[in-house]
Amino acid sequence: MAADLTTRTLISHAQLRRGRGRILYWVLLTLVVVTFTLVFLGPLYWMVTGALKSGQEIAQTPPSLFPRDPQPQNYVDAWTNLDLAKLLFNTFYYATGAVLFQLVFDTAAAYALSKLRPVLGGVILGMMLATLMIPAMVLIVPQYVTVIDLPIVHVNLLDSPFAIWLPLVANAFNIFLLKRFFDSIPEDLMSAAVMDGASPLRTLWSIVLPMSRPILGVVAIFAVTAVWKDFLWPKLVMPSPETRTVSVGIYAFAGGTPQNVVIAASVIAAIPTVVLFLIFQRNIMSGLTTGGLKG
Amino acid sequence: MSVPQYRKVAAMALAAGLGLSLAACSTKSDDSGDAGGKVTITVDCQPVGAQKELLKNWNDDVAEFQRQNPDIVVKSVSVGEQCNNPPDFTARLAGGTVTDVFYGYMTDLQQVLDSGQAMDISEYATKDTIPTWDSVDPALKEVFTDSGKLYGVPVKNYSMGLIYNKALFQRAGLDAANPPKTWPEVRAAAKKISALGGGVAGYSEYSAGNTGGWHFTSLLYSQGGQVLSADGKKADFNNPTGKQVLQNLKDMRYGDNSMGSRQLLQWGDLLTNAGAGKVGMFIGAPDATQAIVSQFQGKYQDWAMGPLPGQDGPAKATLGGGEGYFFKKGLSPEQVKAGLKWIAYQKLTPGKGQFDYVRAKPQNYPVGLPQPLLFTNGSDAQKKELELRKANANVDTTNFAVFEANPVPIKGEPRNAQAIYAVLDSAMSGVLTNPNANIDTLLKTAEDKVNQLLAAGS
Amino acid sequence: MALTTAPGVTRRPGRPAPTPQRSAARRAGLGRRVRDNLTGHTFLIGAVACFAVFSWYPMVRGVMMSFQRTRRGETTWVGWDNYTRIIADPSFWTAWKNTFVFTGLALVLGYAVPFFVAILLNELRHAKGYLRVLVYLPVMLPPASALFLFKFYAYDPSEAGLFNAILTAVGLPTSEWMQSPTMTMPAMVLASTWMNMGGAVLIYLAALQNIPGELYEAAEIDGAGVWRRIVHVTVPQTRLILALLAMLQIVATMQLFIEPLILANGAGTQDSATSVAYLIYQHGFFQNDLNGAAALGVIMLVVLAGFSAVYVRLTARQD
Repeated sequence: MAADLTTRTLISHAQLRRGRGRILYWVLLTLVVVTFTLVFLGPLYWMVTGALKSGQEIAQTPPSLFPRDPQPQNYVDAWTNLDLAKLLFNTFYYATGAVLFQLVFDTAAAYALSKLRPVLGGVILGMMLATLMIPAMVLIVPQYVTVIDLPIVHVNLLDSPFAIWLPLVANAFNIFLLKRFFDSIPEDLMSAAVMDGASPLRTLWSIVLPMSRPILGVVAIFAVTAVWKDFLWPKLVMPSPETRTVSVGIYAFAGGTPQNVVIAASVIAAIPTVVLFLIFQRNIMSGLTTGGLKG
Repeated sequence: MSVPQYRKVAAMALAAGLGLSLAACSTKSDDSGDAGGKVTITVDCQPVGAQKELLKNWNDDVAEFQRQNPDIVVKSVSVGEQCNNPPDFTARLAGGTVTDVFYGYMTDLQQVLDSGQAMDISEYATKDTIPTWDSVDPALKEVFTDSGKLYGVPVKNYSMGLIYNKALFQRAGLDAANPPKTWPEVRAAAKKISALGGGVAGYSEYSAGNTGGWHFTSLLYSQGGQVLSADGKKADFNNPTGKQVLQNLKDMRYGDNSMGSRQLLQWGDLLTNAGAGKVGMFIGAPDATQAIVSQFQGKYQDWAMGPLPGQDGPAKATLGGGEGYFFKKGLSPEQVKAGLKWIAYQKLTPGKGQFDYVRAKPQNYPVGLPQPLLFTNGSDAQKKELELRKANANVDTTNFAVFEANPVPIKGEPRNAQAIYAVLDSAMSGVLTNPNANIDTLLKTAEDKVNQLLAAGS
Repeated sequence: MALTTAPGVTRRPGRPAPTPQRSAARRAGLGRRVRDNLTGHTFLIGAVACFAVFSWYPMVRGVMMSFQRTRRGETTWVGWDNYTRIIADPSFWTAWKNTFVFTGLALVLGYAVPFFVAILLNELRHAKGYLRVLVYLPVMLPPASALFLFKFYAYDPSEAGLFNAILTAVGLPTSEWMQSPTMTMPAMVLASTWMNMGGAVLIYLAALQNIPGELYEAAEIDGAGVWRRIVHVTVPQTRLILALLAMLQIVATMQLFIEPLILANGAGTQDSATSVAYLIYQHGFFQNDLNGAAALGVIMLVVLAGFSAVYVRLTARQD
């Protein structure tokens, strides 16, 4: 964000370039860089090296900074015993599906509410927005009972990825974001399309969606984060070891696994997302900061 | 239809297809029919990958069993290190995702019945399906019986004693062949062991994940107390025996500082510490030593076991419990019979499955533990099993001789055990983490909660 | 707060002019109107179905379940029984107290800290990308992993623990962390803030970048120092996003669950970690009492509705 260099913030550039201000700035910068590195990278270092220590070494006082007798076996045990490959695959699979389902259904709904506005559209939007204030925890029990035995069709969704995908579609915040964005698309563009005889679907596909890439990116990021961060819901609806997510799987095995192996599993589980994040960090950062919400 | 519409339909179809394909791979037992004249049953509590030899033994048993019974297919499901982690178990019951033949504790019968998942197997459990059925201890069958109907088959039975680390005993100058027999002796020994330093806890105890309540119950039994009144309607531990239990712990934890600083332990936490050689004594069943070795990197030769101590003499009683397999409602008679045959083969046949001592002897798996006591004393199966066990013992049986030579009367777990244990965890954690904990208040709070829970359950 | 809008838009968002479809429909008569409505509802059907099955229906079902009792497959209506039982549970009030303490502490730590971190980061002209990535890194960890890290290493009550080792090294008294009833909540807030603050920092940063520089310029000319510039320019300019995040934060922290579950093995020492969400889980899945858990869910809903009402009044008054 080179452009930022020219925008004025709390403290002016001029002030930072002169004498005392300049020294203060560099001291502060060094302090912030060192502190942040310690606070945010330090624990990760501790995690990676801690997983290499033996059970005895973990329990020693004071803790050692470097593993004295590194035990890479802990990582091997973690990978095989917890079947991490399976857990990671499941998590990414659920995340991908969540993105697809939310993009398709929520975009369609927001488009209808914003541009097609059928009768009762306002009521439906209101009922959707009403769910914004209801935290997942309030509905966890009835939702669980519902998923076990879907009304009318009587299907049991336990251990099926639909139990994660479909409830995530019911996301009022996404619909709200998308609708606000669609609302701002100029009407003359839309009417031009209608003049050309384009169907609503065609208008959505060739006019609205291409303009909406940033907001679609934000919805996708939110969808992935939701699956990645959720714990209790997947724990309840994915009870079989073969269908668990990473977080739930690690938790399930923690009770009967030595601590260093649990930590080793945590490290391995974090690697793919951290790598993905580092590769796409520019896109994610700019997506979240400029594409999502503005003050 | 315009071109984009095709694309969208295709995308949706793709998404739906992906979903269905994974749904199809998931382990639903709906395909339990008899494809090609075969009966398929799903069975849980397959050992997990960490338990390499146990897992291999299980898989070999499945292969051999299927060879002997070509018309039966056994599908194994692993549900984690602890086959019955109460909230997961509840979720599986409520969700109806238990396997056809599913593992449970002896205390789970009421919950299984409540969930509507229990199947009456009275007419199928006979000598035809389980050849050793008549030798199985009737008291254990009774545990799985409600209103004269049998709902499960016992596969393991244990009673608790005092497990101790011989190596630490020796280092602390204690007699490793003569474990403490009373709680004051335990306290004295714990003080000496923790004096070794290095973060060693002389005596270690649970206080989380329901295991705290489980051990409180056992300690209470040793004092001659009981968790519930005889009619099962009221809590019965807010009295001198209950206070003595907590007072003993408080004295060791804060009086002598001999219980280590790590508390809020649950099952695996204590065993992790024990495996690392940081625990002198704890109470448990003989097979706790097996978990220490196979899962937590400990050594057999370090561990021995004595009877549960009492306050001023032998324990008045000890907690006995065990495990069994239930059958899911709605199975066909063929499936029930197949399930019983499998259990008979893997769990109840001397020389096979869990009693295959010849196979277990060279493995990192103990033979010679006084467990699981499944058969009636003097029955054919019991004699045969004992003979095999003695012939193939790979652990020093003297390590368990004191435990075996001093039997303590066994008392079963209370009704609604897991819910009560959750409440009692709080009393245990209170006395183990708060130097100023008021024992009377802790017991009163727990009593109120248990009474309320009992009132709700009826 | 203005949500992102499409490029080149001058019209105020939120009050769109009649769409061409609609005006066309008005001209074309009933058949056309029915068809247009049908098209609209076809686009809505997927999302509406999901809302109906997984959101609206469970709300109704939750209220119904809270007045029912299911035993051995038989469901009966029991009036307020579930509510009286849940409220009589000695953990009930403790759980609410704990949840409010957590929410309050999280507002101080998890809400104010990211704001000041964002202000700080916004002022730095170097290492911007590096610092942003650092702050966001913990968000990338699976939550269970991050919490096990705290549980096993940082909060170890002996001196083998990382925090206690640091405290010892600088000569301060050590803490028992999760084993101390007074430290349980702060320790959980600390872990929770560490693993979640990245998102909030980024949102604040976006908001800060939208503050017109002239406002600071003017304030400085008026002689306002750094602190007064924050109070009089930064905070008012980001007020809407601050208010929105406060509400989201409260709704999120009221659901405190995984932190007690992992860090405190559930209830913690003497219920010091029990949250309302954990109590729901305990009743539903430990005590085999889904109806009681549903009642507790309804109580939570009522409390949050109260919160939202207060929130709406407060923000409305400010406008």
